Order: sequence, then structure tokens, then C-alpha cells
Amino acid sequence: MDLTPRPIADAESRAQKQRRRWAPMIIVALALVAGGVVVSQFLTSAIDYYCNVDEVGVRDGCVGQRRIRVQGIVVENSLKQTSGVSEFSLVFNDKTLRVRYQGDPGGVFQECIPVVAHGRVVDGVFDSDRIEVKHTNQYVEKNKTRFEATKETAACSQLPG
Amino acid sequence: MTTTQSTATPTTQKLGIATATAVIFLVLSGLIFSAEDVVQGSTVRMMYVHVPSIWVAYLAFGLTALCSAVYVSNRSRSLIWDRFAGASAEIGVLFVAISLVTGSLWGRLTWGTFWVWDARLTSTAFLFITYIGYLAVRRLGGTFSQRARRSAIMALLAVLEIPLVHFSVNLWRTLHQKASIADPNAKVQLDGFMLFTLFWGLISFSMLFAWLLIHRQRLMALEDAVQDQGLDRAIQERRTEAGR
Repeated sequence: MDLTPRPIADAESRAQKQRRRWAPMIIVALALVAGGVVVSQFLTSAIDYYCNVDEVGVRDGCVGQRRIRVQGIVVENSLKQTSGVSEFSLVFNDKTLRVRYQGDPGGVFQECIPVVAHGRVVDGVFDSDRIEVKHTNQYVEKNKTRFEATKETAACSQLPG
Repeated sequence: MTTTQSTATPTTQKLGIATATAVIFLVLSGLIFSAEDVVQGSTVRMMYVHVPSIWVAYLAFGLTALCSAVYVSNRSRSLIWDRFAGASAEIGVLFVAISLVTGSLWGRLTWGTFWVWDARLTSTAFLFITYIGYLAVRRLGGTFSQRARRSAIMALLAVLEIPLVHFSVNLWRTLHQKASIADPNAKVQLDGFMLFTLFWGLISFSMLFAWLLIHRQRLMALEDAVQDQGLDRAIQERRTEAGR
């Protein structure tokens, strides 16, 4: 019995078979490229040191005027918003840092909430061009009876102590 | 002659009905019965989809690795393990995608940004891409046993990413918050009905996963059977030609 592969008669089905064979290889190649892009983006973003407020000017990588990310909690009653500029203080381990941000921080930004500010220290003030709100892993039901009283200080009421 | 085959059985039909009921209750619980969060407001409701989605993805990829290990270690090399591994990975990819999308939307509303290259988000994106690659590798051609062998090896390597994804929030400083319940050192920090709704989400999404897995595995078995039939038909044609 002749078992040699039979030539595919029509050109269209031959092209279809070719496409079917190449498609997974292309997807594997794209997955490799995408994986590389993801890792390189992560490493590029990691160039900006991630510092707590108490490490600014102290820890290696958090000193000088280099671009860093600073993590801390927005101090209660420190937020001032005038002519498109938001100013507030961040606290971490009893150390505070004044932050100046051009614009209105997004998300659920408010006092007493942990945030990450991107930027650099200029004359003792952290000049930020990006604010990210870092909400905690605590989830507290909004109680309608106590809500009105705590509306403005919702995050502050969750702080320990 | 045409034959109609279904992937459903009375048991899977009952599971399907139970799953649909559980999901409907989850929707009601998540959108109506559970309260808003004191800081996040209604945005917190994203959690009831986001967390169960990544849980199902972990479960699915864990099962893919387990079935792959059974396939590799078992002398009989039964292809049912390979099909379960493949079906589970497909569902896992779908649920990682759901988790990434819901996480991104949740991030925009709470963090103020859709995406940041922090360790949790990056490692989850990498996990997603790895399993897209796994699914592509399954379709590279060859015999069923070649497919099963090469994808089993990849599944056993890829599953090592899961602990990295889960513990990334402890290993690195991240914008993503730490675990609220799946952390051995953490106290449960969800108020009453929120915690119940989250657990209900985990249960109903797990049921959905089981239902999808059974059907997809059976569909894969039918696909393999069709491919086998095509080969049998070709051999039969040659035999007929040779006999002329």
C-alpha cells in the first residue's frame, strides 16, 4: 500500500493549512516578546527607588535630588488646594515630608490615606508629578447612622490608635 | 448518518443550575445586600469579581500542573490528564484576563491610575502571557502524545510563577495592598457581610470553574476523536485505492 503523503489538490486549502501551522508559532513568538516587554517595563520602573518618608535623605538610593517614589500617610488637616496646586504632608514612622503636586490627585485621595508620590526633593519639599493612592487591606462597611459624622474623616477613623 | 453528541450529563446539568443560582445570588449580594466601604464607596464591589477571578486562575493553573504531573508520572500516559490540563489552562487564562481587567478598573477608581508596573501587577501580567504561550505550545502540531509531553513540561515550570505572584506584595514594596484573607499572618479585615459575599464569590466562581472544566474537557475529547476519525478515513481511502 502506498503511504506517501498525498499532494494537497487545491491551493486554498494548502494556504489554510500553512496558516494553521504558523499561527501557534507566531503566538509563541509574540508571547516571548510581550514577556520581555513586561519585565523590562518593571525593571525600568524599579529604577525609581521606593522610599518610605523616614528613609528620604537617609537610605541609600533615597538621598539627593534623584527621582524617587515616596510612601506615607497623608497627615490630617494638612491638605491645602489653591489655584490647581495640592499641598499636603506625608508621615511615616513619625517623620513628615511636605509634598507639592500640580493638579488634583485622583482615586480616593483624602487625608489619612496611604499614598505613593513620584518626584524629587527640591529645597526640602517633595515636588511630585504623580500621585497614586495606596488603599489599605481593611474594608469597613459604611454605617448609615454614623456615616454623616465620619464622612470627611472616613480614612482617619480607620487609622490605628 | 449524523450523530449528535452533547457534553452535558444529568449531573453537569444539575451543577450548571446550582452554579447559575449561586452566581445570581452573588450578583444580588454584591450589588444590593452588601454595604459600601467607608473609604472606597461602591467601588469595593469590584472585589467580589476581582478576587474570585484570580482565585479560580490559581486553582486552574494548579490543576493544570497536577494533571500534567499525573500524565508524566503515569505509565499508561492516559490523554484524559492532558485534556484536563489543557481545559483547565484555557479557563485559567480567561479568569486571569477578567482579574486584570477588573483590577485595572478598580485601580483607576481607587489608586487614580489604570496600571502601574509594580510587582503584583507585573507578575500577574507575566503569568497571563506565560499561559497564553502554553496554549499556543499545545497547538504546535504533532501527535497527541507529543502535545501532551511538551505541554506537561511547560505547565510544571509555569506553575512556579503562582507563589511569586501571590507573595509579590510581601517580597516587594507595591502599590497593590497586601492580602486581606489569604495571608497566614493577617487578621481578617473585612466587615461582616463583605466577608460573606467575598466567600460566596469564591464558592460560586469555583463551581463555575468546575462546570466549564468538565464541558471543555469533553469537548476536547470530541475534537481529538474527530481528528482521529479524519486519519482513519484517510487510511481507509488508501486501502480502498490499493485494493482496486
